[in-house]
Amino acid sequence: MPRLTILLFRILCFVLLFAFVSCSARNRLDDYLYCRLNSNPATLDPALITDVQASVIAAKLFNGLVKLDDRLNVVSDIAERWEVSKDGRTYRFYLKKGFLFSTGREVTAQDLKYSFERILKHATKAPNAWIFDNVAGAKSFREGRTGGVEGFGVINHYEFEINLTLPFSPFLKMLTMTPAYVVPREIVEARGADFASNPSGTGPYFLDSWMPNQQVVLKRNDRYSGGAARLKGIVFRIITEDLTALTEFELGNIDILLVPSSAYQKLKNDAKWNPYIESIQGLNTYYLGLNTSRPPLDAPVLRKAISLAVDRKKILETFYEGRGRLAEGPVPDLLRTWGSDKNTKVIDYNPAMARQIVKEHGLTGTRLTLYVAADQDAVDLAEIIQGYLADAGLTVIIRQLEWSAYKSAINRGEPDMFWLSWWADYPDAENFLFPLFDSANLGPAGNRTRYVNRDVDHLIEQGQHSVEQRQRDRIYQKAEEKIISDAPWVFFWHKTDYVIRQPWVSGFKGYPIYNMDKGMDVQLRKHNH
Amino acid sequence: MVGERATPETIESIRKEIGADKGFAAQYLGYLKLIVSGNFGRSYYSNRDVLSDIAAKLPNTIKLAFAAMAIAVPCGMTAGMIMAYRKGRLSERLFSMISIGGLSLPVFWVGLMAMLIFSLQLKLLPPSGTGGLRFLILPAFVLAVPALSSLARVAAATIEETMGLPYVRTAKAKGLVPMKIAAVHVLKNALIPIVTIIGLDFGSYLSGAVVTETIFGWDGIGRFTMEGIIMRDYPVIMGCIITCTAVFVIVNMLTDILYHYLDPRIRFHGQDR
Repeated sequence: MPRLTILLFRILCFVLLFAFVSCSARNRLDDYLYCRLNSNPATLDPALITDVQASVIAAKLFNGLVKLDDRLNVVSDIAERWEVSKDGRTYRFYLKKGFLFSTGREVTAQDLKYSFERILKHATKAPNAWIFDNVAGAKSFREGRTGGVEGFGVINHYEFEINLTLPFSPFLKMLTMTPAYVVPREIVEARGADFASNPSGTGPYFLDSWMPNQQVVLKRNDRYSGGAARLKGIVFRIITEDLTALTEFELGNIDILLVPSSAYQKLKNDAKWNPYIESIQGLNTYYLGLNTSRPPLDAPVLRKAISLAVDRKKILETFYEGRGRLAEGPVPDLLRTWGSDKNTKVIDYNPAMARQIVKEHGLTGTRLTLYVAADQDAVDLAEIIQGYLADAGLTVIIRQLEWSAYKSAINRGEPDMFWLSWWADYPDAENFLFPLFDSANLGPAGNRTRYVNRDVDHLIEQGQHSVEQRQRDRIYQKAEEKIISDAPWVFFWHKTDYVIRQPWVSGFKGYPIYNMDKGMDVQLRKHNH
Repeated sequence: MVGERATPETIESIRKEIGADKGFAAQYLGYLKLIVSGNFGRSYYSNRDVLSDIAAKLPNTIKLAFAAMAIAVPCGMTAGMIMAYRKGRLSERLFSMISIGGLSLPVFWVGLMAMLIFSLQLKLLPPSGTGGLRFLILPAFVLAVPALSSLARVAAATIEETMGLPYVRTAKAKGLVPMKIAAVHVLKNALIPIVTIIGLDFGSYLSGAVVTETIFGWDGIGRFTMEGIIMRDYPVIMGCIITCTAVFVIVNMLTDILYHYLDPRIRFHGQDR
């Protein structure tokens, strides 16, 4: 018997060894950049995209009339130039001649009209149809009363005009968003619902293959009208687990990786990787939302006490490892065109004053519910906040919910407090004011603290319709001042992200908005990985 | 599905489209009708056909399950025999310790360790992805560890028990060589509990090893189910559960049938008693 077992054991060892040795070869496509996505994109149809993952890919497959440059200015894309009428209501775009779809057909003004009307069409179910809310005739078209949108005018082959019902200053920036990309009508109509998984556009790359949950492969579009990308293609590997992605990166199977927060310290302190880490100052604001619609937090004085009680700076430096800039209000520093002002200073840490306010108003022991999504960082942070508020005499009950349940609970206004962040869709201060603080957007549209202040509404809307930038700055500064003094949020920080790249990657740049990177300048040096 | 800024009309039209506006009974009947017609519906999230996605992922899961079994069964049986035949010696204690470790270590930990050792340090195997043999080894090994350990322990116990039975003593007295006694008399009669364990493990592997598939990015049913749950993609969740239940039932039925061949004393209802 022992002989039999030993024999079996030996055979097994041999088989395993053979398998290991025969398997150590690698396969990578030459001159393709390997990136990681942490989940499978739901769709690649720009009309339907809502997630960051898909927007990152779509930016490389499609183009809009305009795009953003490195400094967040609106610059030409399909449109060579544009004119805005004095009243700020009419935008005329002059298209580049010979701008081609990857199929070889030229983009014309008709394509823009088709693509934009498609977003508004009910049957498309486009989640971001709101970007065209201010276009003349959009409403009646959506309701099916007209056959076309009168505000989208085809002047000739290369001239396209958009008419708004009111001047709306963020409009041009909104046209840089994913839903405003141009799609080829004949392909959209031929492929129907499958256009979402087999899209075709104008971009520097085209979709080569998409194996759901495994990888998305883009190939360089040699007909691209904006010059040729330096890479042959890009492979987006879908890897859910952070640690797995990190292992793949360390093995050289991934070239660029958004550093998972759990690995930040390790990589930063590693002399081998430290030179290859780059920071991206994000256009975002992290905040503790306070439900202003019902007691006890409908009282501004208690909201102020909460703001006074929490030491944001210390939390940012210790718990958050300094991965962000302290917020001076809802609008991120990069968009605060009016600069810092002493008048708009957010409420700073003052525990004694917080305790005093709570005591004076007889609020000691007030119970507050704090909801967080079930991710470890958020839960840890909630406990820290709980500690600070306990010092001020307030009792916090933390409730952890799975992401969708959490989102619907805060949309309904269930908790007293919640932890959330807002990320820019387009680089304008208005994007951090109108959705979040205007009473037209209560609940899921963005104003989840249910903050209502008619003066603020008025200022925000005035800023939207005012054409002159300096005037807008003054208006938004005033709106921000009022919001800060009403304290519907505890303003925490603007998160900085970190990206790590392999030594053989050059020309890579991190961008504050996910669809800014068209993958044109990145290149790979010859390497032996 | 339509983002958070969707208009009430859009939401209403989608509710109508997926039948959420109907009563519970009508929705249930509607779903039954759909399944009977060989259709699991379309994913809410990606709008892809659930049945064809499952059909694409099931072969991967089957591949992984067979690979795990191909490691677990020979290793587990060998270890079990060593433990039974070497009772009281050092090798028995060693194997016993290892098998307890294999049973008690959480899968995600074994998975991450295996990845760190074999991928990052030794650079032998790819840490993640779906593909040929080299992608298969790590997840299959990690999946096999607990099965292997329980199999070894059960095998050891039953072999030991069988060895003490009178017919084995008779076989020894007849002067048969130990190898023959082990193979024909002991092993065959000890197989019933072992087959039960194999059947149960195999069934659960086929219904998707969620953790293993997620860690190693293996594109199987387990990961598909998990993602469906995270996205609240009900057609995907229901499709996966129905498939997994069916697979589990079939594997267990096959195990039951196998009993009859291993031990003719086990008969099915309807035969003469």
